[in-house]
Amino acid sequence: MYLIPVFFGITLLVFTIERLAGDPVQLYTALNPHIDEAQRQALRHFLGLDKPIYQQYLLWLSQIFTGNLGYSYTSGVVSTLIAQELWATLELQLIGLALSLAIAIPIGVLSAKRRYSLLDVSVTSSSLIGTSIPIFFLGVAFILIFGYNLHWFPSGGFQSTTPDRYPYGSLVLDQLWHLTLPAAVYTFALLAPIVLLVRSSMLEVLRQDYILAARASGLSERTVVYKHGLRNALIPIVTYVGLYFGGLLAGAPVTETVFNWPGVGRQFVTSTTQLDFPVIQAVVVIITLMTLVANLVTDVAYAYIDPRIRLE
Amino acid sequence: MMPPPTQQRVQRNRGVSQWALAWRRLKTNKVAIVGLGVVGMFTVMAVFDRLVAIYPPQCLVGLSPSCPSPAYASNAPPSVAHPFGTDLAGYDVYSEIVYGTRAAFVIGLGASGIVMLIAISIGLVAGYFGGWIDNVLMRLTEVFLVIPFFLLLLVFLQVTIKLAPTATGGIWLVVFIIGAFSWPGAARIIRGEVLRVREFEFIAASRQIGASSFRILLRHLFPNVLHIVIVLATLQIANSILTEAAVSFLGFGAPNSNTWGQQMYTSAGFIEQAWWGTLFPAIFVTIMVMGFNLLGNGLRDALDPRLRE
Repeated sequence: MYLIPVFFGITLLVFTIERLAGDPVQLYTALNPHIDEAQRQALRHFLGLDKPIYQQYLLWLSQIFTGNLGYSYTSGVVSTLIAQELWATLELQLIGLALSLAIAIPIGVLSAKRRYSLLDVSVTSSSLIGTSIPIFFLGVAFILIFGYNLHWFPSGGFQSTTPDRYPYGSLVLDQLWHLTLPAAVYTFALLAPIVLLVRSSMLEVLRQDYILAARASGLSERTVVYKHGLRNALIPIVTYVGLYFGGLLAGAPVTETVFNWPGVGRQFVTSTTQLDFPVIQAVVVIITLMTLVANLVTDVAYAYIDPRIRLE
Repeated sequence: MMPPPTQQRVQRNRGVSQWALAWRRLKTNKVAIVGLGVVGMFTVMAVFDRLVAIYPPQCLVGLSPSCPSPAYASNAPPSVAHPFGTDLAGYDVYSEIVYGTRAAFVIGLGASGIVMLIAISIGLVAGYFGGWIDNVLMRLTEVFLVIPFFLLLLVFLQVTIKLAPTATGGIWLVVFIIGAFSWPGAARIIRGEVLRVREFEFIAASRQIGASSFRILLRHLFPNVLHIVIVLATLQIANSILTEAAVSFLGFGAPNSNTWGQQMYTSAGFIEQAWWGTLFPAIFVTIMVMGFNLLGNGLRDALDPRLRE
């Protein structure tokens, strides 16, 4: 249960950065020329900034657990602001993750089965190139080709701004239509590393004795590879997905900004530009929490895939 | 007393070094050689940038006295005079990309150097001493592993740019922050290898004859994990270049630096009218990152004895 101290370590770090960046009251009131010193003092008291610093930290921390993420310097209550955006982000991330797993696992297995074949060499080398392409470039290229040139998909946004004229009649289809390009970019970005991982993990497993035993006992190649091999090869993939889920969420700022997708990532970029610390802190804390939860889920998934691993 | 001929014979019988063996294996790996070639090509480009580029650095073609011809053109499409076109300001995209190579090396090598310095120190100390030292260092590593590093990178850069706009230190600030946050993965891998190596008898032997911990760490453990360090450092170079490109693309890069990410950032707003300003720097980022990735993978195959068949 090392996760709990880790979580507190991160909250402390985020809190420290905010206080190093300057007086919150000054930042809140920066846009208001009519404010006087008495009002500033009142605000200071309201925000609890006249208390000792450790009490402020504890107050902030206790508020996080009750779901109160504070007030943005520019745009209202943070929790309302973020709640909807979190959905948009998760929708994009999970679809991208599911699609890339669905495509990458069969390709990786096939590539490992026919090692050194033309298929394997081309899969491996295109994956290596794939891991080197910056994700934002992929996004920009997709917008340019499928958005501006071919007009197949909208170049950004979450849904059409004119509800009476949804291109495909319904809101759901309209949102799916907007989702296609960003989801495709996510899928492509994740595809290459997962393919490489599946391939190397599968090669490792296919070399084991029990695979030889399975073949010797006359099982079909299909059963050997997919039933006996793949199950064990999945363990490193679960680790990868679990570990990098946090990294994925943190990567959201780039893609979401490129596609103007109203998720936490784009919000984070906007808020960081304005140094809107309540929002910044909230996003960092939420993403950290989700990473920790993903780690926990990974551990449970291990025990499910591989009964030799026991949860303590 | 030993006669001199013995010594000569010893020298003649000396085998090929491990590094020479690794180089032999690397040479047979075509993919790795492609990577090495790409890295070499970029090195030449960075060192001789004035010769490779067409125009002097930051030269408004057609306006500045140092590059008077051809005529000034903003967002001009690729042509003979401008193979990759010009950007909004009127800079030659090709020449500016060439001048950006040096920055890419500074970012890659600088950040990777910082990462390796931290990762080696933590990995060696945690792995060798074990016990509570290992415990504390590994918990610290886990904190850094879970931290959404890219988000904090953006915040740090924005805070420094806002608070001290003149003293941002250019791209070195970006390099330093990337380095300071990217080390946990490497530290864990190095620690794992140290845990393996420290069980060997030669470590126990050198402790028996009175070698200090410091000496064992530096002279015995470090050389035995060096092969892993080299692979990790190469791959980290690729990652750092990608990270900087993303940061700059979002507009959080060092304001007056000339990196490929910055070039894409300034051109991305006009991508409908002038795609060349964004596309070509992106291609160069991809090729360079790919070069380091291919080289790193090749080095891993050549250096890691356990992967050999």
